[in-house]
Amino acid sequence: MYQTLLTRRYLFSKVMPLLAAAAVMLCTAMVLVTWSIMGGFLSMLIGTGRTLAGNVAISWPNTGFAHYADLVDRLRTDPMIAGAAPVIETFGLVGLPDGRNETVIIRGVDGPSYASVTEYANILWWKPLDKPLPKDTLREDVRLTPLTRTSWRQIYENGLTLTRPDPVTGAPRPAVVAGIEATGFNERLIEGFYAPRAVNKRTSTGRFELIDTFMPTTGEVTINVLPLDTRGRVIETASRVFPVANEFQSGLFEIDEKVILVQLDALQDMLKMGAARRLVDDPGASAAPTPQPAAEPDDDAFTSEPARRLVDDPARVTHVLVRGTGPMPSTPDAERLKARVRAIYEGFANDHPGAVPDVFSIRIQTWEDQNRTMIQAVRKETAVVLFVFSFISLTAVFLTLAIFWSMISEKTRDIGVLRALGAGRAGVAGLWIGYGLVIGVVGSLLGLALAYAIVLNINPIHDWLGRQLGIVIWDPRIYYFVKIPSRVEPDKALIVLVGGILSCAVGAAWPAIRAATMHPVRALRFE
Amino acid sequence: MTDDGLGNASTNGAAPRRAPGAPLLSCAHVSKTYRLGRVDVPVLRGVALSVAQGEFVAILGASGSGKSTLLHLLGGLDHADADPATRIDFDGADLVRAGPRALDRYRHSDVGFVFQFYHLLPELTVLENVLLSAMIRHGRLGYITRRAKARADATDLLEQVGLSHRLRHRPAELSGGERQRVAIARALLNGPRLLLADEPTGNLDRVTGAKVLDALLEIRARRSQTMVVVTHDESTAARADRIVHLLDGRVVSGPPAPLAPAPEVRSVHDA
Repeated sequence: MYQTLLTRRYLFSKVMPLLAAAAVMLCTAMVLVTWSIMGGFLSMLIGTGRTLAGNVAISWPNTGFAHYADLVDRLRTDPMIAGAAPVIETFGLVGLPDGRNETVIIRGVDGPSYASVTEYANILWWKPLDKPLPKDTLREDVRLTPLTRTSWRQIYENGLTLTRPDPVTGAPRPAVVAGIEATGFNERLIEGFYAPRAVNKRTSTGRFELIDTFMPTTGEVTINVLPLDTRGRVIETASRVFPVANEFQSGLFEIDEKVILVQLDALQDMLKMGAARRLVDDPGASAAPTPQPAAEPDDDAFTSEPARRLVDDPARVTHVLVRGTGPMPSTPDAERLKARVRAIYEGFANDHPGAVPDVFSIRIQTWEDQNRTMIQAVRKETAVVLFVFSFISLTAVFLTLAIFWSMISEKTRDIGVLRALGAGRAGVAGLWIGYGLVIGVVGSLLGLALAYAIVLNINPIHDWLGRQLGIVIWDPRIYYFVKIPSRVEPDKALIVLVGGILSCAVGAAWPAIRAATMHPVRALRFE
Repeated sequence: MTDDGLGNASTNGAAPRRAPGAPLLSCAHVSKTYRLGRVDVPVLRGVALSVAQGEFVAILGASGSGKSTLLHLLGGLDHADADPATRIDFDGADLVRAGPRALDRYRHSDVGFVFQFYHLLPELTVLENVLLSAMIRHGRLGYITRRAKARADATDLLEQVGLSHRLRHRPAELSGGERQRVAIARALLNGPRLLLADEPTGNLDRVTGAKVLDALLEIRARRSQTMVVVTHDESTAARADRIVHLLDGRVVSGPPAPLAPAPEVRSVHDA
């Protein structure tokens, strides 16, 4: 009981314990802010998969695999699976209105099924906006301004269907949806929205022509791809001009800069992956003799060409994306889904022997599998940073130790009085360890509050620092995301809180033992 | 069965273990030597003493005679030199061979200490300083159940020493005499059977010291308190039932002989 009374009095009668609590607060906040941002970065990286690629991807790159419609149907009937979408992914060049050609990843998607597996509908950028973005206090976002010849709603619908109405006939034409950073015609402002840039293009006469760079209304791009045959050999170059339907922002800078979406069947057509008929050798049929000119004048041998027949060559895709049911699954959940997809594919492959890759060859991966190197690197980096910061947090332990050592020297006579009154050694030690715990609790709770305040406002703080210092601290081109992660996970907060409290208790332990083992008479005579 | 604070069980909780007529406190062959570096400094040499129940004994001696050291040994705050013949008995129980917890219980249940420099905790109020001894004695749960009685007893004691109007004051706001009276109240709150006072008036002026001593004696008379007071002041010692003289760490019978007068010094000019 006396411990509680004295702890309360000591806490507020001196500046030193408050300084110790402040040190604990800063260390706790520092560790939690770092862990939250690094951990948030990792979570964003893992979570972005679902935004763009579902939870599991079945892939056979470049040449693709057939009968995918059957596979998609089988996947969709499984209770663990919420949706499946066929996709073609290939490399290509995009020719831009200002004369540039950029290397991009081109994805052929079926709009509705792609939207069922990813967050596609939510990441389209040009769409009607009910209210401005939080930082757009002057309402300068162009999406708040009605368009004259079309509407934001129309542009959004165009994006969903990957079409744009022909300006003459009004018929929908296949169109592309580009990443918001892909064309380079959009400037991201500090308020968080994009503004189309005015671009001058040099004409053949040497003069400059101003290009309307708002692509979703009048912009067109040229897509150039390399179709391959089933053996992976280049057939020819395919080029096609597409209008731009919309642009998307995934939050992942590299994706926004490098990916262009186009209608699945349009890309299939360009890559010669659509349904067709082809000649194949038919060893079972008898060969018709075909006269051939003799190689030597007296050689009258005849050679035969193998018999051939026409077969249907079904359409192919390089990927089938799968989304699991329920909220974003954890890594173990994604692994379970992957196992289920593998089982379904095995049945599918057994029903199409020789026509599709077998289950041991096909690639079935989660988003984490696909980005394992980067995700592991981020995990290791997080662990290293936490390790280093934990060492720095040892300063809280030593600071508490130093302050308590000093306080116990100051309170030596009081300790002697307590012992003279009959307080036991355990009681005296308990007083100081309890005091350390209280400082730990106060400091850690304050640190928690400070960390929450920083993390939840990290992006405004970053923007403010950028304005004051004139530099972009968090450059999305380097840090991969357009926003700094801003979420504190409760389990991390609890670990850091407990760690802060224990640090103080550990720091107070040695002084507490010293206090408890003081000789009462010497303590009473201490000056 | 009850514990007398020294780990000795007692059937009725109040009956002493000592023989009828035996002293409440006694010690024999008590020596204490302090080691300062390589030098041994003997402070007490074979001291023997006894205090009867209800007696007021004054230990009188000059500075450095070992009287505070003796008080600390009697109060279980320090240990005498190891010697099979050494005994310090309180109510029939041997303090010399008691363990640390037994001594803690002895100090919070059987003994009350009053120090020369009061030793009040500066962060606590007058009332809290007095209640401190009850908190230590009863522990957290015990104190919570006895809180009301403890506060009533503490308030009553402070009233007896004339400080009922100072309950919420801090020690820094009190005079020396007032602080010492708080210390006396604190020492008596748990109803100790033995009160040990180390120069209780040593840090006070004559008038204030006399008042404090009066307060102490008044309480002693009311409670038939057994007291041992260490002092170098003969007037304080004179108010005791018995005076024990301590000289160079030894108990001497009667007051020590006065020092021989210094030889007369004659100036060369006194011829």
